[in-house]
Formats: sequence, C-alpha cells, structure tokens
Amino acid sequence: MSGKQDRLTNYDPVKFRKKIQVIIWLVSLAFFLLIARIWYLQVVRGDDLRKRSENNRVRIQEIKPLRGLIMDTHGNILVDNQSSFDISIIPEDAKDVEDVINKLTKLCDLGEEAISCGKASLKSGRSFVPVRICKNIDRDKLAAVETNSLDLPGVVVDVVPVREYIYGEMMAHILGYVGNISSSELGKDVYSGYRSNDIVGKYGIEKSLGRYLKGESGGEQVEVDVAGRRLNVLGEVKPVSGYNVVLNIDADLQKICRDAFQKKAGTAIVMDPRTGSVMAMVSKPSFDPNLFNRGISGDKWEKLTEDSLCPLQNRAISGQYPPGSTYKLIVAAAALEEGLITENTEIFCDGTYQMGNRTFRCWKKRGHGMVSLHRAIVESCDVYFYHLGEMLGVDKLAEYAGKFGFGYKTGISLPGEKKGLVPTKEWKMRKYGEPWQKGETTSLSIGQGFTLVTPLQLLRAYCVIANGGILYKPRLVKKIETTDGQVIETFPPEKERIVSVSKKNIDILRYALWGAVNEPHGTGWALKRKEKDVCGKTGTAQVVGMPQDEEKPDIKEIPYKYRDHALFVCFAPYKDPTIATLVIVEHGGHGGSVSAPIARRIVDGYFNLEQKRGKREG
Amino acid sequence: MKVDRRLFSNFDWVLLGLVLLISGIGILNLYSSGYNLCAGREPLYMKQILWILLGLIMMIIVFSMDYRIIIRHAYIIYAVSLLLLLLVFFYGNMTHGSQRWLALGGFSFQPSELMKLTIVIVLARYFNDNIDKGYNFGNLVTLLVILGIPFLLIVKQPDLGTAIFLVILVFCMAVFVGVGRKFLVCFISGSMILTPLCWFLIKDYQRERILTFLNPERDPLGAGYHIIQSIIAIGSGGIWGKGFLQGTQTQLRFLPEQQTDFAFSVFAEEWGFLGVFVLMFIFLALVLWGLKIVRHSRDFPGALMAFGVTMFVFWGILINIGMVIGILPVVGIPLPFFSYGGSSMIILMMGAGLLMNVSMRRFILQP
Repeated sequence: MSGKQDRLTNYDPVKFRKKIQVIIWLVSLAFFLLIARIWYLQVVRGDDLRKRSENNRVRIQEIKPLRGLIMDTHGNILVDNQSSFDISIIPEDAKDVEDVINKLTKLCDLGEEAISCGKASLKSGRSFVPVRICKNIDRDKLAAVETNSLDLPGVVVDVVPVREYIYGEMMAHILGYVGNISSSELGKDVYSGYRSNDIVGKYGIEKSLGRYLKGESGGEQVEVDVAGRRLNVLGEVKPVSGYNVVLNIDADLQKICRDAFQKKAGTAIVMDPRTGSVMAMVSKPSFDPNLFNRGISGDKWEKLTEDSLCPLQNRAISGQYPPGSTYKLIVAAAALEEGLITENTEIFCDGTYQMGNRTFRCWKKRGHGMVSLHRAIVESCDVYFYHLGEMLGVDKLAEYAGKFGFGYKTGISLPGEKKGLVPTKEWKMRKYGEPWQKGETTSLSIGQGFTLVTPLQLLRAYCVIANGGILYKPRLVKKIETTDGQVIETFPPEKERIVSVSKKNIDILRYALWGAVNEPHGTGWALKRKEKDVCGKTGTAQVVGMPQDEEKPDIKEIPYKYRDHALFVCFAPYKDPTIATLVIVEHGGHGGSVSAPIARRIVDGYFNLEQKRGKREG
Repeated sequence: MKVDRRLFSNFDWVLLGLVLLISGIGILNLYSSGYNLCAGREPLYMKQILWILLGLIMMIIVFSMDYRIIIRHAYIIYAVSLLLLLLVFFYGNMTHGSQRWLALGGFSFQPSELMKLTIVIVLARYFNDNIDKGYNFGNLVTLLVILGIPFLLIVKQPDLGTAIFLVILVFCMAVFVGVGRKFLVCFISGSMILTPLCWFLIKDYQRERILTFLNPERDPLGAGYHIIQSIIAIGSGGIWGKGFLQGTQTQLRFLPEQQTDFAFSVFAEEWGFLGVFVLMFIFLALVLWGLKIVRHSRDFPGALMAFGVTMFVFWGILINIGMVIGILPVVGIPLPFFSYGGSSMIILMMGAGLLMNVSMRRFILQP
C-alpha cells in the first residue's frame, strides 16, 4: 500500500487544477473559433452559398428549335432538317473508358482525334458529363453501335438536327449555309438574342432571313442529383420552330440554268420582268453547302477560299463587270429621251471614230455605212454610239444609268451585294484628282472603261425595257410561313420607280432588241427561235484595255484571265415578256457565240416547262 | 459482492444525459441523410440505434469495474489491441482502398478506433508509474515505442487521420502530466522526422487531400469537390436552416460521405446557425463536464485517464468540424457520438463509461 501512496507524492491537485483552468480556456477558445467560422459561412456568406446550392440542383437545359425550311416557288423543299448522330461517352457509366473506346474503334473507324479526346476525358473530374467522341457518324456506323450497345456501356448516341441542302451546289449561293455563331458575331447588335454555340446563317438566305428561320429556343428547368441524373422536370417551355421561307426560285428552272452552263465560270439570272421575281440565279463554279453542316475541315475550307475562281462568291450580285455593248441600250434611251436623236437619225460608220488624237474602232473593221438607231442596235455598231456618247456627255449618261438602277445596290435579300460603278466627272476628280477626258466618255458609250455593273443590275435594267418602264426591286423571297402553312408575311412586287423614258422610246428600243435576234445580221442570232419571240443583246466586256487601233488577236492566244467576258441579256416573248434572262460567261470571249447559246437553252427550257405545266393544269 | 451505495448516488447522470442527447440528434440527422437513399437496404439510423444500445451495454460494463483494475491491466489491453491491429494488417477487409476493418461474424470492427481508447489507458498507467522518477530520455524512447507501433500499423492501413489523432492524444497527455521541456522538444522533433516518412506510406488520394487542403482551388472538381460541397451545404443553411429533410445538398447527395465524416454538414444545412449553435453548446458542455471530472478525480491515474478520454472527445469534435468547414484537411475523423459508425460509437460509449467510472468513484477511498 505504501508504494502506491508514494507514487502519489508528486500528484499536486492544485497544480493540476491551474492547468485544467488553462485547458478550459483553450477548449472554449477552440469552440469559439469553430462557431465564428460557421457564423461566417452561414450568416455572412449564407445568401451567396444558398444561391450556389440552388445552382447545384437546378439546371436550365436549352431545347433547340428546328430551323425553318426553305422552299421554292412551287413548294419543293430546298433545305430540310436532317438528323445527325453524335457518339458521346459518359465516363461514369463506361467505367473503363479506354476499353470502351477500343471496342468502338473496332466497330467503326473513329480516328486518332476521337481516341485522344476520349483519353483526355478520363482525366476530367466530372465523370457524369458526356464527352463527345465523334460527330456526324454515318448510318452504317450508327447501326453497328446500336446493335452492340450492350457491350458499350456509357456510350450514348445524340441526335442533332443539321441542315440538308437537297440540291447541293446547285443553289449554294442563294441558300447559303449555317455554322456556329462566331465570337465576333456574338458581339454585334444584330445577333443580340443569340448565345454561344447557337447555329446562325453565315451566307445567302440562311443569313439574310436568319431572323425568320431561327425559331425560339425552349428550355427545361431540371432538378438533378450529384451524378447529373435528371430527377424532376420543374418547368418546360416548348421551343418554337423557325418559319419556313418560300422563295420565288423555281428549282426546275434553276437546274436548267445550271446544266446549260456546263463547266464554264460565270453567272445566269432569270427574272420575271412583270414583277421583279428572281426565278433562277446560278453562279459558277459553286460549292456544296452540306460541307459546312458540322464544321468544315481546314483542308476543304482552304481549297474553297484559295481557288482562283472564287467558288464562294455569288457572281450574280457580287461580281462587277463592264457591261460592254449591252450598255448601248441605256445610251440610246438617254439620247432618245433627251431629244438628241430620233429613231430616224442616221450616222455614217466607216469603222473608225476620231476623238482628239485617239482613234476608236468599230468592231466591224470595214464599218456599217449609214446606220439608223435600229440598225445600230441590231448590228451593235460602235461608231454610232461613240457619237451618241459625245452628244450626251458623261454626266448625262450617269444620270440615265442611275435611272435604270446602276451604281447602287438593288436591295435583293442576299448578303454581299456590290453596287457597281457609274463614273461622273466629279467622281474622277475625287478618285484620281484628274479632270475627265472626252475619250473616256467614248469608251463609256459602248460599256467599256470605268463602268462596272453587277449582273443583277443589268438584268433589272433590261426588265425596264421589257415591261415598259418600271424598275422593280429584285425579289428572291415570296413569303414566310409557319410550319403548318399559315402565311406570316408576303413580299408583293415592289416598284422602285417608273423610269422617265417615254413609252414610245421604250417601244423603239424593244423593237431594236427584237431585231438584234431575229433580223439578218443581228448579233443575237443564236436566240432566233421558230416563234421569233426573243429580244436580246450581246455584249463583250473587255478585261484589259486593248488598244483600239490594233487588231484583236485570236482568242486562244490570250491567257485565260485576260480574255473578254461574254454577256447576253434577253427577254421573251416580244409582246408582254414573262421571262428575262442574263448570262455572263467569264473570260468566254464574244457574247454572241458563247453566252447566247446558254441563254437559248434557258429560254427554251423555260417555255418547255411552261408548256408542261400548262398541260398538267389544263 | 458488496456494492457501495455511493456508487449509485454519485452516478453521473449529466454525462449520460449529454451523451444520449448528442446521440439522439445524431440519429435524427442520420434519418434525414438516408431519407432519399435507395430503399431495400436497412436504414443506417436503425443500425446506429443498435450501435448505441450495444455501446450502452459496454458503457455499463466499463463503469461497473473499478477503473484502477482497468489501469492495472493496461498493458494486456494494449497487447490485445495491437494484436487486433496486426490481424487487420493481415486479414483486414479492403474498402475504398484502405484496410481498416476486421470481420467479426456479421459485424465488422475497426481496431484503430479501439486503439484510441487503449492509448489513453496505457498512458495513464505509464505516466502514473513514472511520475516520481521524472521523465527522462529513456521514458521518451519507451513512449515513442508505445505510440510508434500502432501508429505505423495504422498509417499502413492507411488511415493517416487516426494515426495523427493518436499522436495528438499522446502529446496532450504528455503536456498534462508536465513532462520537461526537453522531452517535448524531442517528442516534437521525433514527430517531425516521422512526418515525411508518412508521406511515402500513404496513398495517392491522401497526398492529394493534403495538397488540396493547402491549396483548395488546386482541384475544385476532384478532391477539393468534397470540401466545396460541404461548405456550400453548411453556408446555404443560413441562420434558420432549410428544415428537417429539406437540405438540398444532402437530399440530392451533393454532399459526400454525409452519414460519417460530413454528418455535421447535413445538420448545419437543415438546422442552420441556430441548430449548430445549440449542438456546439452541448458539445462544449460535454467537454467541460469531462474536464470537471478530471479536476475532481480522486487520484492521479483517474485524472489522467479522464483527461485522455476528454481530449479524445474534444479533438474528435475539433478535427471533424474543422474539416467540414474547411479549416482542416479532410482526414476522416468521425464527430463523436454523432457520425454513423459502429466501432467509433461503441468505443466512445466505453470512453464515456471510463469517465463515469472516474466520476462516480471520486469519493471512494482506496481499497
């Protein structure tokens, strides 16, 4: 017992009580610190953290709307929505992601990119978020994946709507294409309602009518658990599909135009002169807008953008050409209307025209002899118009060019339209700081020199002659409809102005155009149908200023890019024309021999179609 | 056998009341956190009730025999505990990448929990045996051996949290008995040498957790995710809480390990600062009551043992709450009497039994 007592000799309760007092203070301090921290979290940061807990459990999931369809004037679908299939992997369900990817690779060739992407997903922490492995797989691969789905845990197939351009390259320039919104577009006011990852029109109708086609996104408020599993749908707003757009384009006619062109580069437009409706518009070479559906590859994009023939450019509205002899009609209209000549005014053509110390030539070396206005247009006598140009002067010419719609945009609903160029004295002074030379007016009067027009402007001006004096706004879009066919908006013909050229003078010009096709020596002989109903005018646009006093070399000896553009504009029938068409073959040479046959096929094709449809309806 | 009547009149009802109160709140909390779990499995709160009942039986056994008898058999208890740890080392069950459990029939048992209590008993004996001689270098070596064997076995499991917990308990008791400054310096430097050693013994995920604690933004979706979700859960409770069974973080299982390590976060989310304040008050009362027992204990070994058990409870509270509120690393120390866990509940009940044992015998003279 005593030993045990001894052991306690050093035990001094008083000393230990002091220690315990200190420990009580320390323990209380520790509790105080814990409570202070909890106070900070729950009271100071409470609201903020409560929001974060709400964000944790409620997610807004966007439901994308279907983009509107685009149809031709007869209701044929031009752009549809197709399902594209994406393969994603949810690492959480896949367990062994690498193994699953290997199996997938065996089933269908995924490519290196997919595999490295899948491996990267292994490292990311939130394993319940699907990782996209492969975009837009074809149906064979889809079938392989679906039939083996039991062996592929965690593999899910997402259905994503994509645009299908049914006619491929045939209408690429009209319809355009879509793509993910870019960061620079997101910053613009026009795209204010859009979010990143949205699909927007990048070109053509897809772009210019994007606001109709887009539709309204819906959304779901979903309660999810930690694994991202959907537990409850708290609320849902259904998406609204985009409106359908009906164009004035006639797909059959478009096809005729495309086929008539074969492999040449250039453009053809068909318009209804009575309304300004654009019935066909072809620009060659073209591209396949389906390439852009799910992101175009770098190689293909480079090939498109670096092609010297610029397949992405819509030549019908963005190409600017000297109008050549087709411009003579405008000069003639101005001279008639200003009273400088009458239809009987005759001028002698000996094949040359002297302006100062320069000699200008007629395309016919020996000259046309005495020519009236009618013959001058029919045979496209240059000298006659040199004289008219001198009489009118550059600014009067420009005034009439403006009346016929040159020098500014037509306002067609397509992006990228150019405005051409109508030179004036003032313009030259501003641009070059030099006064206007009289010889330059001489060039202008046969559509060479500074003047630049877009094909659409030129055709529209000819429609004025065809319809007796009305300048219409070219219309590509007929109406906007809802998915169930309810009309939202129509686009009736829009008269931009009545051109101030008298009916009588227009008739003179129209008759001359008829003559150019149907009379002997007419330059547009290629269009002479048995009905004798086509009016037209050839044109040859110089690409490089050939010295007027030298003989032209043979076309085959000129390098391609310096060859002349071949133009042809025509309308039919002579009385009450229903179709006007323009054909430009780039670097094709002479208008009458290259463009006119294409125009012929288009005009023939158009009347055949009309006949067939008439029969069907009859 | 003649039983002193004073044992009954001095029974520590306050301690029992506090322990049962905390356990009761713990059961409610478990009910909530298991509320939306898939059905078909026996709910955890039912199992916890079973553990509490088992614990109460063990508590009665522990306070029925005089604590001096327990202290006398300290080394035997220590040897048995070590043996169990060794068994874990060879036959233990692997769960979540660590080997901590020993299957005993239908139950599994965690000997590292037992070791927490054992170390308290063995130190009470050891310091009491050596108090007169003062504590020299030889004592230090012996102490490091007593601590070192279970420490290494537990680190190897690996269970770094429990291993460090043992070091903390030994340190606190050493400070309490008043070992010399030199002794403490040696002890601390010894631990400093052991720490880098641990770095090689622990698993990758544990290294990750320590690195993440040092810099929580390092991996917000990986290891840091637990802490962030816990802080969101606690903070979103606000002053009044979201209400019982209404904690979204809990019910939608954004909160990890919500029945064990993060049980406190569940409580804080649903009951808010008010509930937390009350719970913390009860915990503080429990610790202070333990210190009161130390202060009034009749002899040195009793005081030492009561102090060790009180520190066991105190550090459990501090480390667990510290980690769920993001001021300590996530080391997997349960909240005493509150978190789900059979071994920990039974051991803590036995610890409470030891406290009661010391408390109710404070007026009885030595036999």
